[in-house]
Amino acid sequence: MTLESYLLVGAALFSLGLIGALSHRNLIALLIGIELMMNAASLNLMAFNRFVVTDPTTGQIFVLIIIGLAAAEVAIFLSIILRIYRAYHDIDAEKLTKLSG
Amino acid sequence: MLEQAVIYTFVALVLIGGILAAFSRQILYVIIGLGISLLGLAGLFLNLGSPFVAAMQVLIYIGGITVAIVFAMMLSIAMSIRPPDPNPQKLGFAIACAVIFFGAVAHLIRGAQFQQIASPASEKAWSVGALGHALLTHYNVVFEALSLVLLLAIIGAILIARRALPKENS
Repeated sequence: MTLESYLLVGAALFSLGLIGALSHRNLIALLIGIELMMNAASLNLMAFNRFVVTDPTTGQIFVLIIIGLAAAEVAIFLSIILRIYRAYHDIDAEKLTKLSG
Repeated sequence: MLEQAVIYTFVALVLIGGILAAFSRQILYVIIGLGISLLGLAGLFLNLGSPFVAAMQVLIYIGGITVAIVFAMMLSIAMSIRPPDPNPQKLGFAIACAVIFFGAVAHLIRGAQFQQIASPASEKAWSVGALGHALLTHYNVVFEALSLVLLLAIIGAILIARRALPKENS
């Protein structure tokens, strides 16, 4: 596969993640949409790393950092979801409107 | 020929998992879609010449993050049993946004001129040893900062998720 086809796969995955993040009502499904978008970004970085960059460690380290940050983000996000569930007994994004004006 | 078939299988896994995660209403199917998509991505990373990152993808994403999400799903079970009715207005808006984004990016990619290198770098530059050397010399600060972020995230997650302690009499 060429660089362009890898980039197109990444763009398609990002679009699917965007649909998930914008349309789901469950907070956990929103998180999964965000995860898909981050993975599309790391696919792009790996493709550029293979086809454009001369030193191939750069892109790999970028992707490792993305994976580590995603792990930290998921830990915080899931604990917030648990806290919300304990307080409201619901994690429907459309029902959590206490702070909306 | 066989190699091409394997690559397209991985691409199909990525897209099928993404579609499952984007359009399914049951949260369990969304999580399974995420897992399938991540597995396909690990295969693509392998194809792009980096077995180490592919292994980390499987270990951390599929073995860690997906399992953590399953636990969160089990702890907040109410919505998993009765998924709420989908909101067609929101879904239409999301699909419109995604189509516009994909069209714009595809147009950009078709028009771009990338300065590609003639052949991939040597086997030695791709090795895990070179990766570890770069991580502990040139990217040392990033490495340390990432460990600090992970530690803070663990402490923060525990603080946020713990039950409130009973109030002490003052």
